[in-house]
Amino acid sequence: MDQSEIRAKIVEIIGVYAKDKDALAAATDDTNILQDLKVNSARLVDVILDFEDAFDIEVEDEDADNVNTIGDAISLIAAKI
Amino acid sequence: MSLPATTRFNLLLQREVGRLWLVVWVPTAIFVLSVVMGYRIRGVRDLRKRFRRLVRETDKPILICPNHLTMVDSALVTWALGGPWWLVFHYRWVPWNLPEYHNFASVWVSRIAAWATKCIPIVRGGERAQVSQVLKRIQHVVSRGDTAIIFAEGGRSRTGRIQTETIAHGLGRIVNSIPDCRALCVYLRGDRQDRWSTIPKRGDTFYVDFEVFRPESENSGMRRSRDFAVQIADKLVQLEEKYFELRQATA
Repeated sequence: MDQSEIRAKIVEIIGVYAKDKDALAAATDDTNILQDLKVNSARLVDVILDFEDAFDIEVEDEDADNVNTIGDAISLIAAKI
Repeated sequence: MSLPATTRFNLLLQREVGRLWLVVWVPTAIFVLSVVMGYRIRGVRDLRKRFRRLVRETDKPILICPNHLTMVDSALVTWALGGPWWLVFHYRWVPWNLPEYHNFASVWVSRIAAWATKCIPIVRGGERAQVSQVLKRIQHVVSRGDTAIIFAEGGRSRTGRIQTETIAHGLGRIVNSIPDCRALCVYLRGDRQDRWSTIPKRGDTFYVDFEVFRPESENSGMRRSRDFAVQIADKLVQLEEKYFELRQATA
């Protein structure tokens, strides 16, 4: 799976939780998941658990601490699959 | 979840400074609650008896996880479980608190007061790495025998009932990260507390109930922490249902 496929899947997953759909449509790797996309911080865990299911990976809490942007999520997932 | 030596030293210093003037700040806080605000805890004697039995019977780390309706809930829970002088002589049961930074620590006076009373301010919804640093501090102090209060819902419930959808994942993460850690779920509600507020109404009487348990999960990683947080929320929902059943029965 290449980075563009990972990115597309990530955006699809985050889309379920993002309140700002316009920001999601224009998202780049630097887009902050909580601040720019207005994902509730309590829901970020659900986002990452959905990543686990979608990519068949396991994410530790410490790994998840570094996920702030879409680019961070891509890097995390790319390193685990 | 290891902390740098300087952070561990700072936490130890903070703890011991709190102990130095414990005999002032704990009774004063309880004086304000009980005399100035006129609050009462229903069945406080039996409640404390139950709590002290729990303290005697367990040597496991305990994280206190109450519901959250007002900004003084942590003080009320602490007072409900231990009287002022019992707390003075059982310092480990004066819990560490995680007040919202913007409510309690945004100016230097309140920041110092928070520091000297076992508080570690947190920015709710802040950067995960910053939140993680705070959780590591709590994990550290709880694993070394102190206790801490973390509100399961993250913030005050906007509906007046337990909000399982806003459950704080960090809660499960701490319990997961400390071997044998128990969750002490506490349900607290004033008779006149219909919804969330800044402080309870003056002269209110509080219902308090608690249950302690060890969450279980066959999962690992974040999913295990998530399972723990959900189980803690479910326990609080059970305690809340019990409260409303009792209230209906006595209405």
